[in-house]
Amino acid sequence: MANQRVLPQSKETLLQNYNKRLKDDIRSIMDNFTEIIKTAKIEDETQVSRPTQAEQDHYEMHVRAANIVRAGESLMKLVSDLKQFLILNDFPSVNDAISQQNQQLRALQDECDKKLTSLRDEIAVDLYELEEEYYSSSYGQWNSTDLPLCEAYRRRDSWASPDGSSSSTQDDREDSDGTPSQEANAQHHVNGHGTASTEKP
Amino acid sequence: MANERLRLLEEVEKEIAVVLQCAGNIVLELSKDKHNASLLDRQLVQFQTSINRVESELSAQIRYLTQVATGQPHEGSTYSTRKDCQMSLNRAEYAKVKLGELGRTCEAMLEQQQI
Repeated sequence: MANQRVLPQSKETLLQNYNKRLKDDIRSIMDNFTEIIKTAKIEDETQVSRPTQAEQDHYEMHVRAANIVRAGESLMKLVSDLKQFLILNDFPSVNDAISQQNQQLRALQDECDKKLTSLRDEIAVDLYELEEEYYSSSYGQWNSTDLPLCEAYRRRDSWASPDGSSSSTQDDREDSDGTPSQEANAQHHVNGHGTASTEKP
Repeated sequence: MANERLRLLEEVEKEIAVVLQCAGNIVLELSKDKHNASLLDRQLVQFQTSINRVESELSAQIRYLTQVATGQPHEGSTYSTRKDCQMSLNRAEYAKVKLGELGRTCEAMLEQQQI
């Protein structure tokens, strides 16, 4: 064979064994079937009497029929072994199956990520409005003893400035008048939206 | 391609059953007093066709395996892409859960305002 490759001994032996089994089983089926048909032919009486000959023919046919069935069973076993060998060693088809599966999984992943991205783009606007609403409401307030860092720095800067004393008193007044409004304003800064404060005392 | 070869082997199994069936029908017909010649001919032709097909198909499969088989195990895998796909589905599921929570929060707020 022009494309004969050097296989490992076990694989080559195995494939030769498969060939041998195939040839033997097919030959067994054909020979036994031919002999059954030949035995079915009625002949003139020979040395043994007809009942004895009939009995012998009957037994022979039983044995040959059993041989045919055994050969058929052996062929089925051979097909099963070939299927197993094919699944384990047919690399081109295994590679094809792997690449096909990879392609399907990547397509599913891309579709999922694309839909997530479009969903993100759609709800970004709504989320912006929800944040505005949340941080301008009473639920977005924080405790004066638990300031966020940005608010703490802002207050420190306002105290440290030249107008700090007046602004501090002003802040105190504002604090006494409308703490929620100032904290709401600060919350806007914390939020990073940079919107103008809406609530003034 | 793999499915095609396995499907052909499934067909070979059916052909083997046809071979045995035809052999049995022929012997059954010969056992009768009056034989149906046309039935015998049909069954015999079917028997010969099937057994030739079985032999040729199995020889072809063994020849193909002789050409492609190596001694090495296959080390390919779909694990990485399967994992990536699974993580993508997890991301989608997480986003769904979070949006559900957000929706429930908004509904609770609306109900509270209505009250």
